[in-house]
This record gives sequence, structure tokens and C-alpha cells, in this order.
Amino acid sequence: MTRNIWWVIIPALVLLVGLLGYGLTSNPKHIPSPLIGKTFPNLQGKDLNGVDVTLGVIDGKPTIVNVWASWCGACRAEHNVLLRGARRYGDSISLVAINYKDELPNARRWLSRLGDPYQWSFHDLSGRAGLELGVYGVPETFFVNKQGIIVEKISAPLTDEMLDDGIALMSK
Amino acid sequence: MNNNIKNILTSILLLSISSLVFSAGVNEDPLERRMLDIAAKLRCTVCQNQPVAESNSGLARDMRAVIKEKLEEGKDEQEIIQFFVDRYGDYVLLAPPKSGNGLIIWLLPPILLLFAFFSAIMIMKSRSGKVTPPLSQLSKEDQERIRRARNESNKLGEDE
Repeated sequence: MTRNIWWVIIPALVLLVGLLGYGLTSNPKHIPSPLIGKTFPNLQGKDLNGVDVTLGVIDGKPTIVNVWASWCGACRAEHNVLLRGARRYGDSISLVAINYKDELPNARRWLSRLGDPYQWSFHDLSGRAGLELGVYGVPETFFVNKQGIIVEKISAPLTDEMLDDGIALMSK
Repeated sequence: MNNNIKNILTSILLLSISSLVFSAGVNEDPLERRMLDIAAKLRCTVCQNQPVAESNSGLARDMRAVIKEKLEEGKDEQEIIQFFVDRYGDYVLLAPPKSGNGLIIWLLPPILLLFAFFSAIMIMKSRSGKVTPPLSQLSKEDQERIRRARNESNKLGEDE
């Protein structure tokens, strides 16, 4: 009988250690998005200058959609990454933004002060466009390939490496 | 004096009636109730384990507004919950789904309980036929030591 018990205890322990190991090594900040693999919805609205814009694939190029707000501290660090990225990748990609729950004057001031890497920023004052896209908060970034499929969504401030990885994914 | 008391009584009477005049009947919006029922099943995605119905965060407020809007459009609860699952994943559900990976969470506790129950029965069965070994006898020396220790403690008790 005692020997039989070990046949249960040892596999159970191995399973437990395996689960703990998986829990410790997986990234708690990585929130899998059900939107990956889906088509980016065509959302219509206005940019910060009141011009009509439609979110989706821009100019038939792989498109990055970055969600930002002037009240978001983490976005400031990320902004430099995006400015560098826009310079490095130039015309090979489209970079647009969703300005999330932000006042127009604050958003405009932020861009004129820190530089504007975006073709335009969709003004989402109510946060409804964000909700349509499953946005938790700012900053978040969608990588959309030429076919309009979301290939990656990052719910954290981007680093240069994350930007490169995302662009590699959507250029495939 | 008498007049004064009369005046006070009249004003008290008037005041007590005024509340009836100015108060509006309390009406609960049935839509609000349905909205909160759905919101109670959804996780506020930016909070720690709080349902959308109870959270004051901006996102939860937006989600409540969307639920209400969709109820007004005539959508049912299932459709509204699916709308959020499509965008935020199963994570948005406070109760994990009874399918796919969620099934493990629902089935594991009863399986473990059954397992514990049957192993307890098996262990008890394997012991039921066995004769418990007789108690070991104390040696002469040990018995002597116990006797001495008892005597000593009795003596201590008498000294006090």
C-alpha cells in the first residue's frame, strides 16, 4: 500500500513543480489579446485637427496603431521610441495613433513640444474606439499587417526591441 | 402667547406636508437593473478582481455605458457578454467559461474530491483486516524509574 501511494505523490509533485515553473517563467504583463489574428475594425472619427480619418490599414502598408494620451506618464518614455522608429523605418510602414480620453489642447501641446511621429492621431475623447479595440489603458500598440490582420498587440510601453519585433512580425 | 404656539404648530404642520409635495416618487429604471446584472458578471479589466458593476474606474464606467446602450438597442445578455469576450478575451468573465481551458478549473475540484474519497476508503479497507500489534512491555529498569519519579513528585507536593 505505501508503495502504491508514491505512484500518486510523485507525479502530483512533478505536475505541481511544472505548473509553478510555468507560472514563474511566464510574463505576467503579457495579456493575450483575442484580437490577434482578427481584422482591424475600420473605425471612423476625427483627428486632432478635426479632419475625418478611418483607422485600419493606412496607404496599403503595414500599420502601427499606437494608443496614447498626454496624461499618461509611461507614454512619454515610449514617445522617444516611436520618434526613433518613425525615423528608422520611414516610408516602409504607416504609423498612426489613437489619442485616448484626452483634451484637444493638451494633446496638441504634447505633440508640438515632444515631436509628432504620427501621420495623424484619431481623437477618442469618450474612449469608445478604445473599448471597441479591447484597450485596457495607455500606452498600447497594435501591429497590423498589409492585409489588415492584427498580428500583435502590446499592452505596455514599447522599447526599441519590441518595436523591431512587432514590425518584423507584421512585415512577414 | 397662545397665538405664538398656534403659529409654531402651523409651521410644523406645513413643513411636514411640504415633504410630500416636493418629493418625487422613486422609480427604478429596469434597464439599469439589467445593466448591473450583466456588469456583475464582467471583470473590470484594470482593477484587481472587481466586477464592472462595482468599479468606479473610467473603463468600468465606459463598459457600463456600452452595456446600457446595447440593451437599448435590444441586444440580449449573451450577445453583450460576447461583445466583451471578443475584445478582452475570457479574462473579462468573472466566472471562467465551462469549455476549453476553463473546463479544467470547473472539473478539477470534484475530481480531486472523489479521488480523496476513494483513496480514503481504500486505505481504511487495507487496514480493517489487520491486527494491531500488542503494546510493548516496559522493562524492569524503566518501571523502577517511573516509580522513583512518582515518589519524588509526591514528596515535593507534601513539602509545599
